[in-house]
Amino acid sequence: MRKLAVSLIVAFPIALLGWACFLVLFAPAEPPFDWMNSMSVADHNTLVALIDHHYTVAAYVITWAIQLGYLAWLGLRWQAKKLDPARASRNS
Amino acid sequence: MKKLLLSLYATLTFALLVWGFYQAIYIAPADDRLGGQGELYRIIFYHVPSAMVAFLFFAISLAGSIGYLSFRRGRDAWAQISDAWALAGAEVGVVFCTVVLITGPMWGRRAWGIWWTWDWRLTTTLVLWLIYVSYLLLRRFAAGPQMQTLAAVLGIFGALDVPIVYMSNRWWRTQHPAPVFGGDADSGFKDPRMLHAFVWNILAWLAWGLLILIVRYYAERRGQKIAAQDVQDALNA
Repeated sequence: MRKLAVSLIVAFPIALLGWACFLVLFAPAEPPFDWMNSMSVADHNTLVALIDHHYTVAAYVITWAIQLGYLAWLGLRWQAKKLDPARASRNS
Repeated sequence: MKKLLLSLYATLTFALLVWGFYQAIYIAPADDRLGGQGELYRIIFYHVPSAMVAFLFFAISLAGSIGYLSFRRGRDAWAQISDAWALAGAEVGVVFCTVVLITGPMWGRRAWGIWWTWDWRLTTTLVLWLIYVSYLLLRRFAAGPQMQTLAAVLGIFGALDVPIVYMSNRWWRTQHPAPVFGGDADSGFKDPRMLHAFVWNILAWLAWGLLILIVRYYAERRGQKIAAQDVQDALNA
């Protein structure tokens, strides 16, 4: 049970990081410089808004990946100190 | 009692974060002015509060470092408390500074078309981050009685970069936008709902930062007590 909890605590920030990378790497391609020849203004604005959305969501997700990742690392280190076998045997 | 207070504070922080998120995404309007950034500007609600909190925590680290150097001869308990605050401030400050250094280039990629430029604001922020990462590496890998003193001195020098980062886009011509508060006439939010969302997010991230700062401080104090106990055990053996 403890191992499952630890795995989840570690996996969640990593999953968030993966999601953020996915959003940035798989964002739609930028419209070409001469986009006026190939698409309407409305289509161009929709495409730009979609790319912006990818980056904005990625920035939010990566913020949480870093914060929760740090919190998980802190918690695991605290647990490791508490359960240090060398210390436990000395105190027994 | 301490645990109850911490749980209450954590609940309040969680509520503030949810409220801040709601304000940032659903209440603040898109920047639809001519040449505005549309939805992209919403990165500001995470990017700038993170920078503010990082600066505050580097200031706490500075105070802790000065405290350690002042108390290390004679008042050992106070010196250890100061040192724990210095380390906690530096470590949590680095976490927030990392958020700034990652969300900034993502914003820059869309707003300027580039991930990074060696502009004053960006470069001084990177230097600040590197100084505090070296502070943490020193704490992690150096050993011996002088380690805390060396770290305190490095912490004080690192904090000198904070006002330079803050003033960089006032002193020098930079690509980075003007400050939100106290900038030129064109800076600042054009809609009060944007300002409200910004203030809520500053409060939320400050509350979150303080929460993890307190947790980190107690973890360090616990580590110090264990180390002191180990020394005592070794002497008694």
